[in-house]
Order: sequence, then C-alpha cells, then structure tokens
Amino acid sequence: MELKRRSVLAALGAGTAAALTGCGSGASADGGSADGPAKGEITLLTPIYEKADGKKLLEQDIIGGFHKKYPDVKVTVDYTTYTQLNEKITTAMAGGLLPDVMMMGVGWIPPFAAKKAIAELPESLAAAHDYEKRVLEPSRYDGRLYALPVVLDTRIVVYRKDHFAEAGIKKTPANWTELRAMAKQLTTKGRIGFDPFSAELRQVWETFLFANGGSLFSDDGKKVLFNDTRGVEALQFFKDLIADGSADYTKKTELGAPTNVQTGKASMMVTTSALWKQLQDQKPELLEGDTLGAFVLANRRPAMLQGGTLVTQSARSKHPAAARAFVEYLASPESILGAAKQRGSVPGMRDLGAAGTAYTKENEFVDLSLKNLGNACSEGGTAAWMEIREKIKPTLEPAIVGGQSAAKAIAELGKLAEAAIARM
Amino acid sequence: MATAELNKGELLRGTHKPVNWGRIALYAVLTLVSLLMVVPFVWMILTSLKTPAEIASPDAGLLPAHWEFSNYVEAFKAAPFATYARNSFIIAMSHTLINVVVASMAGYALARIKFRGSDLIFYCFVGALMIPTYTKVLPEFLIVRFMPLAGGNDLFGQGGSGWLDTWWALIVPGAVTPFAVFLFRQFYLDLPVELEEAARLDGLGEFRIYAQIMTPQVKPALTTVALLTFESSWNNFLWPLLVTHTDSLRVIQVGLSVFKTENGTQWHYLMAGTTLATLPMVVLFLIGQRYFVQGFATAGLK
Repeated sequence: MELKRRSVLAALGAGTAAALTGCGSGASADGGSADGPAKGEITLLTPIYEKADGKKLLEQDIIGGFHKKYPDVKVTVDYTTYTQLNEKITTAMAGGLLPDVMMMGVGWIPPFAAKKAIAELPESLAAAHDYEKRVLEPSRYDGRLYALPVVLDTRIVVYRKDHFAEAGIKKTPANWTELRAMAKQLTTKGRIGFDPFSAELRQVWETFLFANGGSLFSDDGKKVLFNDTRGVEALQFFKDLIADGSADYTKKTELGAPTNVQTGKASMMVTTSALWKQLQDQKPELLEGDTLGAFVLANRRPAMLQGGTLVTQSARSKHPAAARAFVEYLASPESILGAAKQRGSVPGMRDLGAAGTAYTKENEFVDLSLKNLGNACSEGGTAAWMEIREKIKPTLEPAIVGGQSAAKAIAELGKLAEAAIARM
Repeated sequence: MATAELNKGELLRGTHKPVNWGRIALYAVLTLVSLLMVVPFVWMILTSLKTPAEIASPDAGLLPAHWEFSNYVEAFKAAPFATYARNSFIIAMSHTLINVVVASMAGYALARIKFRGSDLIFYCFVGALMIPTYTKVLPEFLIVRFMPLAGGNDLFGQGGSGWLDTWWALIVPGAVTPFAVFLFRQFYLDLPVELEEAARLDGLGEFRIYAQIMTPQVKPALTTVALLTFESSWNNFLWPLLVTHTDSLRVIQVGLSVFKTENGTQWHYLMAGTTLATLPMVVLFLIGQRYFVQGFATAGLK
C-alpha cells in the first residue's frame, strides 16, 4: 500500500492525541465556561483570508471591528493552507496546544468533535441568524452544534450560452440522459462537451452520487452507503462520458489556470461559484457579454455539493469566553460578507442586508447557489472522514483513467471506508 | 625573409585548420541545455510583470503588453517578504554551519577512530536514512513541544509551549542530517592512513588531526554538504509551518503560499514573490560559483 504522508500523520496523530489528552492546558474538554468576560490572548488558525487582500480584510476590518467590541481580547492569527490544515491541527492536537479558534472545512467537524478537540456551541447560535437547515448540517455532530458556517463553496455546472445557441440547445439538462446527449452534441470543432475533471475528482463524484439519489453514510456515520448501485452509477457516468468522447481526462485544467469553459475548449464544466471572481480578473468580457450560464446538476434529484469553511472553538481554550465571542463574530453577517466577496464564495446565511443583496445579484453563480441551498448536500458525516477523504480520489481514479470497472473501484473504496469507520 | 616565411607558414596553418565538428556540436548542445535551464526563470520573471488577464489569455505574447512592476509592490504589501527572506537565510545558514561542523566530526569519528560500537552507530545512521521524512514530523513536533524548561515548560515538559514558535524549533531539529554523516564518513575512509600517522608522530592531538590535517582533504564533501543543506533548508515548507504561528518567524516558502488558495492562484503575485525568493540563491551561486563547480566536479570524479 502506498504510504501517504497525510494518512501517516492522521494515524500517528490519532494515537498520540489519545495518549496525550491529559497534556497541555488544564481547561476542561467541554471548552470550559464561556460565560465570563471575554478577555485574554487567543489564537486563530485559518486556511482562508489568504491572497493579497485577505490578510488586510481579516486583520484590519474583521479583527479591527472585533477589538472595538472586545478591547480586552488580543487575537494572533496563524495562517495556513487547506493542504496543510489537517497536519497543523493534528500535530497541535497531539501537542495539546490547539489554537483557541479554528476554521476548517465541511466534513471536518465530526472527526474532530469525536476526538473531543472542539467545543460544543450553544444551540441558540444556530437560531441567531437565518441559516438554511442544510447549511448547518456539517456544523453538527451527534445532533449537537460544534461550528458555524462562514463561507460556502458550491459545485455547480457552468456552460457556454453561445455554444448552446450554436447547437440549437434551448434548455439546460434535467437529467444525465439529457446531459450525455447534449455533451455529445456539443463535442465539435475540437471542443469537449463536458469537463467534469477540472474540479476535485472526489467532490465531482460526490455531486454525481447525490444527484443520483445516493448518500455517503448513514445518519449516525457508522455505515457506508455509497457502495450501492447509486455510487457505482455515479462513477460509471464519468466512464460513459469518456466513452462518448464528450469528456477527456487529459484536458483537465489546474486550479487557477484559465478554465476550459473560459477558453472555449469546453461547453460545460463542473466548477464553483468562485469561477465568477476568476473571470472578473482573467476574462471579464465573458461576464459582460452574458456568455456564461449555470445550473445545478440533476439526475434522480437536483444536487449541489456544499463545501466551505466553518469556524469552531477549541475544547481546550484557556480563554473560552474570548474564543466563543470571536467564533460568533467571525460567523456574523459583517464578517461573512467580506470573506465571501474576497473569495467569490457563497455567504453562509441569507440575511446580509442591502450589501449582501448587491453582492449576490452581481455574482450570478452565488445567486444560483443561494437559490438552491435546499438542494445542497455535504460531504463527510462520519468521524472517520479525514482518513476516508484522502482515499477517494486515488481509489476511483484507476477506474476513470484505466480499465478497472466502476463496481470494483467502488467496492474497494467501500471496504477502505468500512475499515476506517471500524477503527474509530 | 625569415619573418615572411614564418608568417606565410602561420597563414597556411590557419587556413587549413580542420573544423572541429565535435566541439561545435558540444557547444550547440550546451547552448540548448542552457536555454532549457533558463527558460523557466525567464518565464517566471515575465509572468511576474503581466496582468492576470494577460496571463490567462491564450493569445498573449511572451513579453508583457504592459509591464506591471506594481505586482512587486503589491506582493510585498501582501506579506512581509523581507522578514521571511531574512528568516529563511538565518535558518539556512545555521543549518549549513551546524551540519558541516557536527556531521564532519561524526563522520570523522566513525571513519578514523576505533571504538566499541562504532559499527553499530554507523548502521543506525544508515538506518536513519531509510526513515521517511513525514513519519518523523510528529515525534519531532512532540519533542519540541515538550522540551523541558523551555517556553514555560517545567522539568517534565508540561505547562508551557516548549520550543514552539521559537528559533530553536526552526533550527535545532534537522540541523544535522544522517546523509551528511554518511557522506563525510565515506570521504574520511578514503584518506591514506599515512597522513594520520605522520600527524600523530608530529605530536598532534585527535582534534587537530581532524581539523588541520584530514578535513582540508575532504573539501568536495564540505562543499557538497553545505550546498545541499542550504538548498534543502531554504526550500523547507512543512516544518516551519507546523512549529510557528507568528508572522515574524515565518519563512519565504510559507509566505509564498499566501497566493495559492482553494479558489485559485494569483500567478502574477506568486511569480513576483518567487522571483524575490529566488534572488538570494542566484546571488549566492554567482558569488560562490567557482567553489560550487569545483566541489561538484571533484566529487563527481572521485
């Protein structure tokens, strides 16, 4: 078996963290009382607020605003990237020095809540704003609230209206049969009809799975459900598109590079709402000319994968009141809108006032995502997710680029996931 | 008359000098390879001076349509690159010095001094070469975190943060590499025993034999270890990211990651930052070019 650095770290971290839970601060594992006055020095670990303008937004606007409200709290920021976030949290956890406030991805809450690394938040916070029920699902573990959403990154399909018009296609596909037929029809003049490969393979397969009526895990996160026919069909869909000639794995583009829809080399592609911001920088004429449209993928049901970033509080913070206050502030409308605009992401809530309405109207992909939050589906849902998520792409990829059957790849992934859950 | 004949002879020899096709082919290949080596650097610099729209455009030329020197200013505003570069330099220099001094001493001891268990210790070093880097990260992190009497820790390493977020954490772990010890040992093994015996007869102690007689004979090993250590330390990313959280201790590679995100990459700033990060290494190479080339050439011939 290939030795992956993340799996090694995850395994070592899990074991060591269990052995060392007594180390570090003397705060209780439930996060201590957050009722006292908010004061002290706290640390924020964040994989977002990056790029040239992100740091200014966080340190001047958001933390500046927080200091006005809570002058006795000093916030130190520890910037990292999503690629290294798991290593950073795992090693900090093993060392008993978790940052007071942490931002992490969708699907990450159950694993860290199960390890008692993050503190439970009062249920009243879930009702503090106009949250869509599905948006809050990734913030929960075992029915309890552990995090609040900050920004969402949805997976939608963006298409070229000019290619559709040229081919005489008047509506977006309502199911996979229509999508395949349209993709074949649009594969012409050196273009590919559909590009599902330029987004993260794991997340695109999950989008297909949810759209096909499937699920990843049972509600309690202890049973694997994706290894049924729905999961196999979702993977087979990639193979069918390649067999049709309307999707090509070798033509995928790297993150940040000009996308195939943008360059006109593909007529449809799976992407995120952040593509809008990328186009504003790289090819604004496509937006000005209303050349692009977007829709939510559907087969048995419409499904939009909901990724994103949540904010949570360490279970071992020495200043729980200050940490709680900062969690609430980072998830408040004034902080959320800035973060969403900076990343081109979807805000975690709807009630963002006039400025929020202006932003969502300007970014049509965000607008579509907000209108479809009822169809949002999240990855994760099991305490073993951090281990399983790393295995999805390398297990499914051979079926897409090689000769392995979809059923065999899904069965193999199912066994790996069951073994990971059994180890929890 | 004699002068005229001599000149005529020289002229004739010059006229009939055969064309050295082998040398021409060699120069052609070397020119091509040099161009291939320099292209990524040229691309990096030119990209750092383009706008995002131009970088993304399939029709853009090699040279920027508008030279965006402001990319450098903006990249500098995004992160304190001068601090990052200073930190990287301090860490890389410290690692280089410590590795050269300590590993050469260890290599000398394992090669030239007979003591009980020396073979076992050497095998342990060879064994350490086989350990994947990522499996060492967590144990090293825990050693740093629970360092006794440091960062508010008590004698048992509890109560504080140990060496985390300090220069100690950045410099001490990984300062001496088993590869360097192994390399030095092999070089010291090959030196003639007569050198050592003559020095002993002249009354030199063990340290002076190591420092004044034997080590000057292994200059290629010193150069190779120094260069490899500096390069690897300068490019280290994960360890500095894990053990620091304040900006004042972050290194250049961590600083550059600010331009790469889940939702895209700011290529113009990333390339401007990378150009700035590469500059010290290029300057260092230009200054020490002669020694580096000599070192590698000698090491290669060995």
